[in-house]
Amino acid sequence: MRAWTLAVLASTALAAMMTPASAAWHGYISHSLGFAFAAPGELKVEKGTYKAAVGGTHDSVIFRAVDDNIEYKAIVIDTTAEANNAATVLGEAEYIFQDGKKVLMDTFGRVDGKFGRKLTVDLPNKAGRTTAAFYFVNGRIVSLQATVLPANGDYDTPEMGRFIDSITFYTVRAANDATELTLPK
Amino acid sequence: MRATQLLISAGMALAVMTAPANAAWHSYISRQLGFSFEAPGEVKTQIGTYRGSAAGPKQTIVYRSVDDNIEYKVTVIPSFHQAQAEGANILGEREYTFMGDKKVLMDTFGRVEPGKDSVYGRKMTVELPKNGGRTTAAFYFTKGNLITLEATVLPANGDYTSPDPGRFIDSIAFVLSRTQPGATELQAPEVE
Repeated sequence: MRAWTLAVLASTALAAMMTPASAAWHGYISHSLGFAFAAPGELKVEKGTYKAAVGGTHDSVIFRAVDDNIEYKAIVIDTTAEANNAATVLGEAEYIFQDGKKVLMDTFGRVDGKFGRKLTVDLPNKAGRTTAAFYFVNGRIVSLQATVLPANGDYDTPEMGRFIDSITFYTVRAANDATELTLPK
Repeated sequence: MRATQLLISAGMALAVMTAPANAAWHSYISRQLGFSFEAPGEVKTQIGTYRGSAAGPKQTIVYRSVDDNIEYKVTVIPSFHQAQAEGANILGEREYTFMGDKKVLMDTFGRVEPGKDSVYGRKMTVELPKNGGRTTAAFYFTKGNLITLEATVLPANGDYTSPDPGRFIDSIAFVLSRTQPGATELQAPEVE
């Protein structure tokens, strides 16, 4: 009986050790961009380019982390030059995001008095599932996107929702120990 | 046999006479506000009000007609020229307010005009509370104007799958060269 108990305990410990270690969530803030969010893992900064028929071509900044085969991205597109066409520029970005994909959710997003959109899509070729939120703030498109990759496979994980719902435009609502995001030059 | 044929002909004539007479659709244009649309019946102009957290208190211009117990309404909230950068927020708030606690049957992208001229918005269909009918609406914010098209099939009509609401909200054009020839120019009253 004692041997049996020991075997169960050992296998439980082994299972716990083999489970992917999820990184702790941490707060991030950009005072210059006017928003904050939370994400797990190590956040890296990349530059990108956004192209759209109405919105035009603009530089973007991507804050990206990968944890437990879920990719977390906060994308900021500087559309200040198109700000007077904000409604269409944002609508176009949302449209491009879902175009050609299977849409599982498309609903209102509302954060700190800002109205936006939240969408979940299945990526083509079984490449995973992305939940995203889109807002237009201070002349910029701000989009948070969490993609559960096939290697993770838990497409109903609450982590995607936790990420996109962590955004705030009142920087006082950011975590007290939030890390200031550094913008690329 | 001849009597039966006469009876059938008389019955058909009676049916045609008693069916609701649908008014012809006509094109309307506002060069001042930058859009055109089509609607049946006589379009009348009214001034209304709107209040939103993002939009603030505003007077609205309402173009309205009723035909065959379907109400067609275009509501324009002009003069957001100083707040166009807040257009996405003002538009989202308007859509959210429209939806409220109603049962949403459709909520999808709206896009008018192709390519660089595209104006993106939203199209929604909701059921009104207390069996008040069904409204299909489209929302756009362009050139400082918030434009809403709403077609409400009233219970007296009852044909909630009528194609007429879709025809109405999809008739909007922002590139005015697409407007039907002979469109009636709409007056835009001064609003605050």
